[in-house]
Parts: sequence; C-alpha cells; structure tokens
Amino acid sequence: MDYDAENLMGRVRARDADAFEALYDAYHRLVYGVAYRVLGDAAGAEDVTQAVFLKVWSAPELFRGGNVPAWLVRIARNRALDVVRSRSSHAETELPEALPETETIEDVAFARLDAGKVRLALAELPDDQRTPIELGFFGGITHEEIARRTGIPLGTIKTRIRSGLRKLRSALDGAVTV
Amino acid sequence: MNDTHEQMLDDVAVYALGALPPAQAQQVRDHLQTCEACRNEYAALAPAVAAIAASAPAPEPSALLKGRVMRAVRATLPAPAPAAAPAPASSPARTNLSAWGPYLVAAACFALAVSLGLINLSLINQLKASKEYALQLEHQSKVVAHEALDDERVLADLTNASAKRYNVANGQIVRIGDRIYLAMHDMPALPHGRVYQAWTLPKGAKEMVPSPTFVPDSHGAALLALPVRAAATAAVAISIEPEGGSKEPTTKPLVVQALD
Repeated sequence: MDYDAENLMGRVRARDADAFEALYDAYHRLVYGVAYRVLGDAAGAEDVTQAVFLKVWSAPELFRGGNVPAWLVRIARNRALDVVRSRSSHAETELPEALPETETIEDVAFARLDAGKVRLALAELPDDQRTPIELGFFGGITHEEIARRTGIPLGTIKTRIRSGLRKLRSALDGAVTV
Repeated sequence: MNDTHEQMLDDVAVYALGALPPAQAQQVRDHLQTCEACRNEYAALAPAVAAIAASAPAPEPSALLKGRVMRAVRATLPAPAPAAAPAPASSPARTNLSAWGPYLVAAACFALAVSLGLINLSLINQLKASKEYALQLEHQSKVVAHEALDDERVLADLTNASAKRYNVANGQIVRIGDRIYLAMHDMPALPHGRVYQAWTLPKGAKEMVPSPTFVPDSHGAALLALPVRAAATAAVAISIEPEGGSKEPTTKPLVVQALD
C-alpha cells in the first residue's frame, strides 16, 4: 500500500476510500494524540479525531500542498481548541490551516519521527523557552496571555518562543543553525 | 537587519506557533506575502511546531473509532452498479448480512455484556452506537455489505463462541484467531499525567515489549485491539505509566496473563 501522504491526498480528492483509510491508519494516532493533549479526555479526543478525518474526506481541496501530517495537526489542534473554548472563555488563536501560497515547508517525516526524540528535544529546551511554547501550542492561548500568566514582558516571550522553536528544529534535523 | 524587522521575525515565530490573536495573525500573513526573509523563517519554524504534536502522549483510541469514521466516509460514496441479474431473495449471504447487521450488532451488544458478566453502561453505550450506525446503514441501501463494519468485525470477534477469554481484574483479555483485545471496565481514573499501558511478551522472549497506552472513558471502560499477532504472543500485561508510555514497565503490573 502506498503511504506517501501527498499521493494519498490526491487519491482522496478522487474519492478513493481505500486511500483515505491508509491515510487514517498512518496518522490517526498523531491527530488523536494532539487532541488528547489539548483536551485531556479520551472521548473528546476521539470526537475531534473523527471530525478531523471527516473534514479531510469532505473538503480535501482545503489541502493546498505542503506537508499533509502538519496540516492534519493544525486542523486537530484548532478543532480541539474550539472544544476547549466552548467549555470556557478563551482568547482565540489558531494555527494557519491555509498556508501562504508562496510558502514551501520542508517535509517533516512524521512517519519516521520518533516521538521520544521530540519529547527529549523539548525537554532539553530551557524552561523559559519550553513553557511558552507548550502553553501556546497545547494551551491555545495568545502570547499576551502567556506573558500575563508568567509575568514576563511580551517582547521577551516572543523572543523566547522564536529561540526555542529554532533550537527544536535544529535538534530534530540539524538543518537549522541557531 | 533592523530592530523592527527582528521584532517581525519574533512575530512570525509566534504566528507559526499559533499563539497570535486573529488580527495580528492577519498582519503577519500579509507581511509574509512580501518578505522573503520572514517566509524563510516561517518555513524553518513551522515543521518544528508541527513536530511538537508528535511529542503529545498518544494513548490508543477506542478500537471502534476507525469503524465510525470509515462508515461515515463510505456512506457518502455513490451506490455501486446493480448486479446484472437480481439475486434470489433467499440466497445472497451478503445482502442478508447487510439487512441483519443492526440486529447482529444488537445481539452482539447483549452477548458481550453477558459474556463479560457485567452491566457496564459505558461499554454498552459504545456498542449501541454501533447499532445506531448500522441502522443508518440499513437505510442506505447503497452501502454494500462487504464495506461493513470494522465494528461488526470487532464485535463478532468479541462475541465469537470460539474466542478464548481470560478473566482478569476489571475485564477480559480476548483472543480470537490471531487477534488480541482488551475489554476493560470499571478501571479507576488515574491522576493527571498517568495512563494505562498494555504490554506483550513475545513467545521465546524474556522481557515485555510496550504496547499502546490507553485512557478509559469517564465510566472506566476501554476497548483496545493490541497490535500484535496472538500466535506470537505468550502473555499480556497492563501497568500504570507516565503519559506517553514507557519502554519497560515502571510500576508493578496490575494484570499479567499468560496466553495458552
């Protein structure tokens, strides 16, 4: 079976249910994991996972090229945060699902990405960089809210997020100098 | 590069993380259209953001989730072309399976509840959901029987009279063919940061190997298909581990069951 994600998305556009199933098999744990981390409960994470994949099937044209699992992650994270917001009053943030046309994102080989390695890379970040990154990604709060909660100036928070992301990228593939 | 542009690069990083409010996110999007340096920065950081997702602890979703998704997908497909000649009403097993599907699932719900010797509302509710989906299918004649249901396959496995069942604390380990399921109920809720993790002992091996982590639903129920071949598995265990799972058990297993 062909697990090349972009190839599978092309077949999903052509209403190939077998290709969709292969896509589901390859990435449902990734999607479920994000939803579970954001929501903290299994039932909600399953609902989000189902919603994400049904959106892929019903609107595959929303994928405009690039990295398929990264796109799935953005949808999952946004949907999970929608659920969080429905449970509480939360400032609105979202990951860009529709990317700039000119963007070229290098593939992160999710199928081969070692979750343990990512966790280790995150753990090795200084606390003052890891904390705002995790609050922003999984907590879905704005940088202003992060600054308010941590009592750190906004400009410092932004710089730490950037420094942390660059270190993380460097640790993952060595392709970016910090 | 001036300070103002350095600040914009910081904003690009926050945008990539998804932590900008909508109005500021739109400003960054507009800027990315015209600034190559910022586009390059975004392209460098976005995969790191996406990779953070892979760090999320990933307990195994219910074995029934895929069935729900695939059923909804296949229900949207056009009806297959009709057969050249109508089949006799009494003979086609596939048609009969389709028509009887809801009732088989309902029977399976009951049989499973009886076989487990429990009245577990949560698990039964999961199975009832399968019945509801199957009823929807009954009204969608365009869905053919061979597309049916992973759920039915799971339920058929769980209720198969020839399945080997091992009663363990809070549930059963069910072995049918080359498949192994955990059907658990009334499992205690765990503190934040802890999950249940399944383990399997391959035949001939001396140490357990990690299997998926899982989190029971709010009623303490969990249904899990283990990603191993039963024929190659000597034992199954369950322990409590940190989120994300462990490479070897770090707590005394709650369940250790040899498979004969």
